[in-house]
Amino acid sequence: MALRQIAFYGKGGIGKSTTSQNTLAALVEMGQKILIVGCDPKADSTRLILNTKMQDTVLSLAAEAGSVEDLELEDVMKIGYKGIKCTEAGGPEPGVGCAGRGVITAINFLEENGAYEDVDYVSYDVLGDVVCGGFAMPIRENKAQEIYIVMSGEMMALYAANNISKGILKYASSGGVRLGGLICNERQTDRELDLAEALAKKLNSKLIHFVPRDNIVQHAELRRQTVIQYAPDSQQAKEYRELANKVHANCGNGTIPTPITMEELEEMLLDFGIMKTEEQQLAELAAKEAAKAAATA
Amino acid sequence: MTETAEKIRDHFDLFHQPEYSEMMDNKREKFENYVGEAEVARVSDWTKTKEYQDKNFAREALVINPAKACQPLGAVFAAVGFEKTLPFVHGSQGCVAYYRSHFTRHFKEPTSCVSSSMTEDAAVFGGLNNMIDGLANAYSLYKPKMIAVSTTCMAEVIGDDLNAFIKNAKEKGSVPTDFDVTYAHTPAFVGSHITGYDNVMKGVVEHFWDGKSGTAPKLERQPNESINFLGGFDGYTVGNLREIKRIFDSFGIDYTIFGDNSDVWDTPADGEFRMYDGGTTLEEAANAIHAKATISMQEFCTEKTLATIADHGQEVVAFNHPVGITGTDRFLQAISRITGKQIPEALTKERGRLVDAIADSAAHIHGKKFAIYGDPDLCYGLAEFILELGGEPTHILATNGNKTWEAKVQALLDSSPFGKGCKVYAGKDLWHLRSLLFTEPVDFMIGNTYGKYLERDTGTPLIRIGFPIFDRHHHHRAPVWGYQGSLNVLVKILDKIFDEMDKATNVAGKTDLSFDIIR
Amino acid sequence: MSTAVAESPADIKERNKALIAEVLEAYPDKSAKRRAKHLNTYEAEKAECSVKSNIKSIPGVMTIRGCAYAGSKGVVWGPIKDMVHISHGPVGCGQYSWGSRRNYYKGVTGIDSFGTMQFTSDFQEKDIVFGGDKKLGKIIDEIQELFPLSKGISVQSECPIGLIGDDIEAVSKAKSKQYDGKPIIPVRCEGFRGVSQSLGHHIANDVIRDWVFDKAAEKTAGFQSTPYDVAIIGDYNIGGDAWASRILLEEMGLRVIAQWSGDGTIAELENTPKAKLNILHCYRSMNYITRHMEEKFGIPWVEYNFFGPSKIEASLREIASKFDDKIKEGAERVIAKYKPRMEAVIAKYRPRLEGKKVMLYVGGLRPRHVIGAYEDLGMEVVGTGYEFGHNDDYQRTTHYVKDGTLIYDDVTGYEFEKFVEKVQPDLVGSGVKEKYIFQKMGVPFRQMHSWDYSGPYHGYDGFGIFARDMDIAINAPVWKLTKAPWS
Repeated sequence: MALRQIAFYGKGGIGKSTTSQNTLAALVEMGQKILIVGCDPKADSTRLILNTKMQDTVLSLAAEAGSVEDLELEDVMKIGYKGIKCTEAGGPEPGVGCAGRGVITAINFLEENGAYEDVDYVSYDVLGDVVCGGFAMPIRENKAQEIYIVMSGEMMALYAANNISKGILKYASSGGVRLGGLICNERQTDRELDLAEALAKKLNSKLIHFVPRDNIVQHAELRRQTVIQYAPDSQQAKEYRELANKVHANCGNGTIPTPITMEELEEMLLDFGIMKTEEQQLAELAAKEAAKAAATA
Repeated sequence: MTETAEKIRDHFDLFHQPEYSEMMDNKREKFENYVGEAEVARVSDWTKTKEYQDKNFAREALVINPAKACQPLGAVFAAVGFEKTLPFVHGSQGCVAYYRSHFTRHFKEPTSCVSSSMTEDAAVFGGLNNMIDGLANAYSLYKPKMIAVSTTCMAEVIGDDLNAFIKNAKEKGSVPTDFDVTYAHTPAFVGSHITGYDNVMKGVVEHFWDGKSGTAPKLERQPNESINFLGGFDGYTVGNLREIKRIFDSFGIDYTIFGDNSDVWDTPADGEFRMYDGGTTLEEAANAIHAKATISMQEFCTEKTLATIADHGQEVVAFNHPVGITGTDRFLQAISRITGKQIPEALTKERGRLVDAIADSAAHIHGKKFAIYGDPDLCYGLAEFILELGGEPTHILATNGNKTWEAKVQALLDSSPFGKGCKVYAGKDLWHLRSLLFTEPVDFMIGNTYGKYLERDTGTPLIRIGFPIFDRHHHHRAPVWGYQGSLNVLVKILDKIFDEMDKATNVAGKTDLSFDIIR
Repeated sequence: MSTAVAESPADIKERNKALIAEVLEAYPDKSAKRRAKHLNTYEAEKAECSVKSNIKSIPGVMTIRGCAYAGSKGVVWGPIKDMVHISHGPVGCGQYSWGSRRNYYKGVTGIDSFGTMQFTSDFQEKDIVFGGDKKLGKIIDEIQELFPLSKGISVQSECPIGLIGDDIEAVSKAKSKQYDGKPIIPVRCEGFRGVSQSLGHHIANDVIRDWVFDKAAEKTAGFQSTPYDVAIIGDYNIGGDAWASRILLEEMGLRVIAQWSGDGTIAELENTPKAKLNILHCYRSMNYITRHMEEKFGIPWVEYNFFGPSKIEASLREIASKFDDKIKEGAERVIAKYKPRMEAVIAKYRPRLEGKKVMLYVGGLRPRHVIGAYEDLGMEVVGTGYEFGHNDDYQRTTHYVKDGTLIYDDVTGYEFEKFVEKVQPDLVGSGVKEKYIFQKMGVPFRQMHSWDYSGPYHGYDGFGIFARDMDIAINAPVWKLTKAPWS
């Protein structure tokens, strides 16, 4: 099987790392050989797979040794759940340096030193948004071909998903990168599934899977485990396995996204009642005031 | 009187006239908050001590007077070696002004290169539009056959993707789709100018051999008898490549100089400015895939390029800027082994002449101590030659040398009795060397123009071999490779030795006892 | 060799118009439109050269310009001799600008002076990713240890500093405090800022205002003023220019308390607010600080021009006019003293140079300032332009140029080559990047940034050298040899 390179993008705090690691844990159960490249300076893209936080990031070791040229691959690659190879780019403390450049450095190092040999999947887990050229590194040519956007029914998550699509579009024409699909992490907002599907359609993509909310994810996470490992027989583990199956079957089905304008996005949110028009807001406010007045009267 | 129409005094003696000396002294005393000559002398003496040296070598962050430049300089050097190729550096424009000036000051020749002139807005939004417009303008104005894109650190920090940008620019019609645009990311904060050379050469190899970024079929290697030659970043490229061609021609073999910039930096003054001249044709660059082997004259300049070439199934052989008998022997023997051709009698005769010259003069070099600094391969080649001449390469320093290089040079020193007590310094700079020249003095130093400051401070005579040489003219036109080139190096060394002898013995009635007419 | 000498101004203007149209044709439309605004012919009596300036260069055209770092480190700060100037970022910028500008100074390099040294933080990948502030702090400590006689430190930012968001101001402040108020001065002159060297000058000027003047007040309390105190502003002492100027000012009775910045010191910068008059040579690079001193300290300023006896004479009188009769008499005395010698220089060289045509393309001052010196020698400037001039430079240029002069702003390699090919001047004066191009075309050339390693060119002592050098260039026998007899 040809090497498949996938990447998970999504707004911060959306549960991207959790989703990606559970998906990959399910994939490894299916017999796939996997390499994770964590591209978030927080270095938490492999925590659930390794059952511990990765200490030796590429950049922290490089800083110690002087330069990346002084590093060996084995220094930065740890083996986790069922043989998943784990690496973390690492990066600076918030507010200093250039994390984006760090991503470029780390990926170049891993490629040049043969980390991509003998694996079926390379998975990039990327911080937040495509904020600068560095964070677009994983979607350049010869890197990830399929991008999975982790989102939810919350407004900011939808904005981010659309923005990430813009980033993908930029590189889609020159390279082979495609939008694999959206993965919705349930937040129990109004009409969440419909909204996710509607956005996917607008983006010329599809909703790969709707992952329901379940506290067991938190339980597993507290133990630094994926649900797959912590509660292999749970319903939630089944959900992740289904997601993994869908991703696996999605090879070559990615599309060039068609990001929408802010106006279109807002209109959509209005249609779904997530966002209110100014008149609605004023009317509501007036009603509230009226109710208050009535109560005190 | 400071100056008359008959006797025009310029800066060389004007400012040593009494009225100027007085003026400068007055300025110093009254306005400069000067610490006084005694204090200056005290600190000056202190910088010559072992104590200062220890502090100097304890430096962890500050670099002073380094003997290295940044990647894109090497990128430009490599790019101009191809037929009608315009180097295009993506990033801030000031960098390109610097590279052009730097080469021009060394070669006394123009150096053509364009920038994508990225400014603050490009820093925020990325430089795609600069690439699109830049390629279009460069193509229209300068009618190149190929454009070789590299990057400044600005474009690298914001993470611009050259491959994607070039494709985008082609889609927008900046240059025709089938026009050759090679690219190499050349961040200034990684490696040095020799890394930039390597990255561009690798980029050119990949472009022509691996299907031009997916726009053409990959070439299939059909081995032939030809050999490729990579010179590496080399201040003597004009003289050296011509000498290498002479050597190959005398073998009677097919060869490709991969990146031949010997003509573009040596164009005639005949009324016409040639922006492009000579160079490896694009066809030759592509066909180089079929060669039997690739020889690199400078291992540390070509590590990645050689690895890429080896991946395509060629034998690769690397040297370390060979100078002298043994180094040149190895080089010629390698050519002979690869091609199956005998070493020509004419070259064997040249070898004999060089041995003869060394025999004539070695007595003046034997036991003399030398400090050598410069690019890693150059240092190695010169050190080997000095050992061969019976000299002692006491300090060997490459700011852009790494640990592998250090070990390699150490092994060379260990192989000769003349290498005993000599030391290798990787990653050190010329301010480190200054300390060494005070605490462990040598008779001569060999290096580029910047060594003149050390010559002034320490009194160690400088033999100018390296890059850049700004303050002597035309030396780049003569080779330092091959037996012929080695002879040139020998003569440079001897000239300095004899000049110093004369300078030390030319005071009438005092030191001129040894002012011999025959040396 | 001027075979293409157009007869009348009208002819010349016609030729220039055609020439401009011709070079523009080579560009893609969008760029042709933009470049068109930078090329023109000067029309007599107009107050403008009618070209756009100080605008972004077009990508890919081979602009001759540099960057803000070059303007700050290379031009304004670099010549301050008793400070260590850190090129903060990767190694290249400091390396390429190391020792190449010829801003002469007197001092023991490496001990009490640091002008021709290259101090760099030599940024590595890890410094980019993790930020360079800690490294900068350590660098300052190491300078303090190894160069105890350095009187200050400036941090000259290269491109990455601004991109990765390092806080060099905080580091500088903390270190200055640690080292008893030693001036440690952060300069945000990243190369991607602005459109040329020019913004670097401006940034460097502002930094002097904010980081030198504001702290200098108490240090200069004991400064003994005289009524004749002046400061030379905007002379970088290329080949000793500022010295050849200073000597004349002192001879006429003035006291020069500071040189900005050729052979300058931090003490002189600090003392400048005590001057009675600022005299400004390079307007472009230092008008900002001069205007600031006028507003803040009430110091008047006057522009002057020390190229060639005509302009020197006028300038000496202009400067003297701001002082009492003693100085006015001093100026006349100086003028009279040098007059015979200047006449002798002109008598010797004018016959060899009379009628020769010159095209210039230099920085922010010389495209106009040297015209008078050429005219003193009977030569004529037929084309000129600025690398990084602004509109006020072009306005000032109108006082120097003749009707029909070809004007080119931020000229590209292509345009300059075509212009020279068609106009066929006897001499081109520009920079090192241009020199060998024109010499290969058979056109005599002088570098007008570095004085081609000669100089000084300022002052009366400089004029003889200037005349001699132009003669050397134009009348070198080699120009008769460019064509083989059989070709």
